[in-house]
Amino acid sequence: MIQDRLSDKKALFAARANTELRAQRNTRRVAVLLNGNLVNNVRTEQFGVSARVYENGVYGFSSTAEYTDETVKAVLKAASENAAFLSAHAGRGKGPHPHLMPGRIVTATDLSDPEQRAYIEFIQAIDRYVAAKYPDLISHTAVAMSDSMEKLLVVSDGTDGHSILPRSYLYVTMSAAGQDGKPIELHRVIGGGYGAFTQNYDNPEACYAEIDELYERVRRKTEGVYPEAGNKTVILGGTLSGMLAHEAVGHTVEADLVIGGSVAGPNLHKRVGSDLVNLVDFAHTAFGKPTPLPIYVDDEGVAATDAELIKNGILVGYMNNRESAERFGMTPNGNARAFLFSDEPLIRMRNTAVLPGTSKLSDMIASIDDGYYLLDTNNGQADTTGEFMFGVTFGYEIKKGKLGRALLDTTISGVAFDMLKTVDMVSDEMVWASSGMCGKKQPMPVGMGGPALKCRVNIGGR
Amino acid sequence: MIETLKQTALKALAALTEAGADKGLCSVQYKITHEFNVDGGEFSLFRTLFDKQLKLNAVAGGRKGTVTQNRYDDETLRSAAATCLSAAESAEPDENWDFAPMAENTDVTRGATDPDLDRLFFRCKELLEQVKERFPKVMIEQFVVSHEEIFHVVADTCGVLHSTHEGSYTLIMMYSGHEGDRASSFMISTAQTADLDRPLIELASIEHDLASAEKQIDTVNPSGKFEGTMVLTPDCVSDLLGSLLMQFAGEDGLLNGTSPWKDKLHQPVADERITIGLAPLDERIVCGKRVTEEGFVAENFDIIHNGRLNAFALGLYAANKLHLPRGKNDSYNMVMAPGDKPLDEIIASIDRGILVGRFSGGKPASNGDFSGVAKNSFLIENGKVGAALSETMISGNLADMLFRLRGVSAEQVQSGYTVLPYAAFDGITISGK
Repeated sequence: MIQDRLSDKKALFAARANTELRAQRNTRRVAVLLNGNLVNNVRTEQFGVSARVYENGVYGFSSTAEYTDETVKAVLKAASENAAFLSAHAGRGKGPHPHLMPGRIVTATDLSDPEQRAYIEFIQAIDRYVAAKYPDLISHTAVAMSDSMEKLLVVSDGTDGHSILPRSYLYVTMSAAGQDGKPIELHRVIGGGYGAFTQNYDNPEACYAEIDELYERVRRKTEGVYPEAGNKTVILGGTLSGMLAHEAVGHTVEADLVIGGSVAGPNLHKRVGSDLVNLVDFAHTAFGKPTPLPIYVDDEGVAATDAELIKNGILVGYMNNRESAERFGMTPNGNARAFLFSDEPLIRMRNTAVLPGTSKLSDMIASIDDGYYLLDTNNGQADTTGEFMFGVTFGYEIKKGKLGRALLDTTISGVAFDMLKTVDMVSDEMVWASSGMCGKKQPMPVGMGGPALKCRVNIGGR
Repeated sequence: MIETLKQTALKALAALTEAGADKGLCSVQYKITHEFNVDGGEFSLFRTLFDKQLKLNAVAGGRKGTVTQNRYDDETLRSAAATCLSAAESAEPDENWDFAPMAENTDVTRGATDPDLDRLFFRCKELLEQVKERFPKVMIEQFVVSHEEIFHVVADTCGVLHSTHEGSYTLIMMYSGHEGDRASSFMISTAQTADLDRPLIELASIEHDLASAEKQIDTVNPSGKFEGTMVLTPDCVSDLLGSLLMQFAGEDGLLNGTSPWKDKLHQPVADERITIGLAPLDERIVCGKRVTEEGFVAENFDIIHNGRLNAFALGLYAANKLHLPRGKNDSYNMVMAPGDKPLDEIIASIDRGILVGRFSGGKPASNGDFSGVAKNSFLIENGKVGAALSETMISGNLADMLFRLRGVSAEQVQSGYTVLPYAAFDGITISGK
């Protein structure tokens, strides 16, 4: 656990400035077995302290990898000097942020940090299972990974915090020969989520059923077909609707991107989806359970609450930091997050999800005469205009209300605020994912989720 | 500082040996970053960062482990070495792990090692004013300009001990064109330079890209689907051909056996007018990597030379495992040979196609199939660049595409990271709504 060398430095904070001190440790453990060969076996740790000072509408920031009483004072001084430099040359004539009630939230506990042997032995067991049961594969890869982020935060006004966010995952990738001999590939995150690796994975056999299912999908994909290109009726599975929530809508409603000209600017309080569409960026609790990656206090000292973004199809809010919330007259919900000790907080998503509806997936499939059921993705990108693109790695044809042949790799695209208006059925079950990293100047672990959505999108063929 | 880092590296190697390593490799770095941020068109943040990095690799009994930390005091060196060996002990033995053998050690100092922050700030302000005056429809979402001074030492137990002290300025700018509520897709410009002699707007293709953003506010959607010619801008060459080279000539595709080029060394894999490689020592590259992660002195090399697969981009482990030569550097400094025709002449030869500024797509399939959305793109009809496009998808196969080259432009764009021309390929599927 990070020792507190920060709280007693509050006495050094300047009046009429917002100041944050943050000590932070990030860890990452990775082991990769490719066809039985251990090609990656790495343990990484990054630890240090930073200070950020807000004065006259601009920020100064400094960080160092040393964590002593002297270096804490040094980064505080350097951040103050940087704020003064920028204030003198480009100040905006603004005072401090609106005051926040003081508080302290401590959720950090001692984190189990398994030795590398635990990761390697686990994926060796997975590798042996795959190699023995599926010798027809061209290749198979098993990756065991964990990362964690411990933060000790002290702020001039708002909520101090001490938190830890650990997560761990097993990834399995399989390649098989397709109809023309060219490789067909699929990967899957098996289990995992919040917690240390040995907490999430204590028995390789518990993963075998999902591995078998992955193989079955690979097999079906080797007999797969390209979809017919065009604007089609599809069902986006929960993984894809979560991606949609994050990439196509979430980024456009981050207030810094709104200020930069995103499509959400002129659409606040307007219809952006059908009545069935509801979207929330959850902080730490959703549907009565902890979110995949719970955030209790952000890195500006804002106690985290849910950010309601789309309600019954109407865009009702943005995700903010303290500065943008003041600009838009909104309440900050705790979306300012930094990845490393040396990173400044940016407006980031936490656990962004489309809310489930009332339809049964089987009824949704039965309602489509000619369309597609899209299940897996390997990539998603979106524009500030809301135009999005998702790579689709697995799905099925739907013909006359029934699932048909598997699909080869394809891409779907659309414009989020147009596409969401075509949503006419929303399933009553949802899927969360949390294994990915969002990229926006800094990486950031995020959760995303959603139900199955029936809608229209552009789908690429060949 | 370099002498201190060398002593640290030697201590780290001693700690690895003491912990039981047969072979060790160590990288030690100290970096000072000064960074100005502009958000929503206004200065928002000034950062100063002091970063350290220690990376230890150990091989013991053919087993390899790696540890990275951002401290290198004596206690950390000892504990990191122990952790590294502990990680290695868990691995299966593999005789192919190795590090660079002894060679002539190098000490390099280059670039802007002494930052001129007042001038950097002036250049940032100048750029913002020039954008406002000359490209009034452009809105800058984020603009980050930084100076990095890096001290770096790489050493191994064979006697390798290389050092680099370097400094450079980098910029990344994200922006879009706006008129009323209408907006273009976002664009991203990047550049790296060792001096501030020129206005930042003159670096790479920034000026051209800003003008392009204003032309993309109003778009059309091509109806239906057609097969046409795809002209990639240098940025898009970096993106798409970079993906192709890493996927087909890089370690993963070769180690897992899925690369379509796995048996094609020295055979034709592209039109003979294509020569492309990694060239960190090219004088147009700013502070290209002089020493590889494995301790080798970097050399330029072509992956494709006159259309033939000249070399794979492999590290030492993969090279040993596959009994192939290793790549001569591990940089991302892609350099592609120019063609003999100007871009205008290539475009004039195209009946119907698309000029692609950015490819928004998933990772191409391991067989080379790709499909995605053409962003920052324009329709080409009857030899002329026409309207900007939206909701337009492009698809094809990367391996096949390289044989369908229409032309490579005589013009090259130097970003500091890469030196790349425009490249045009036939037989691409282009589809609208």
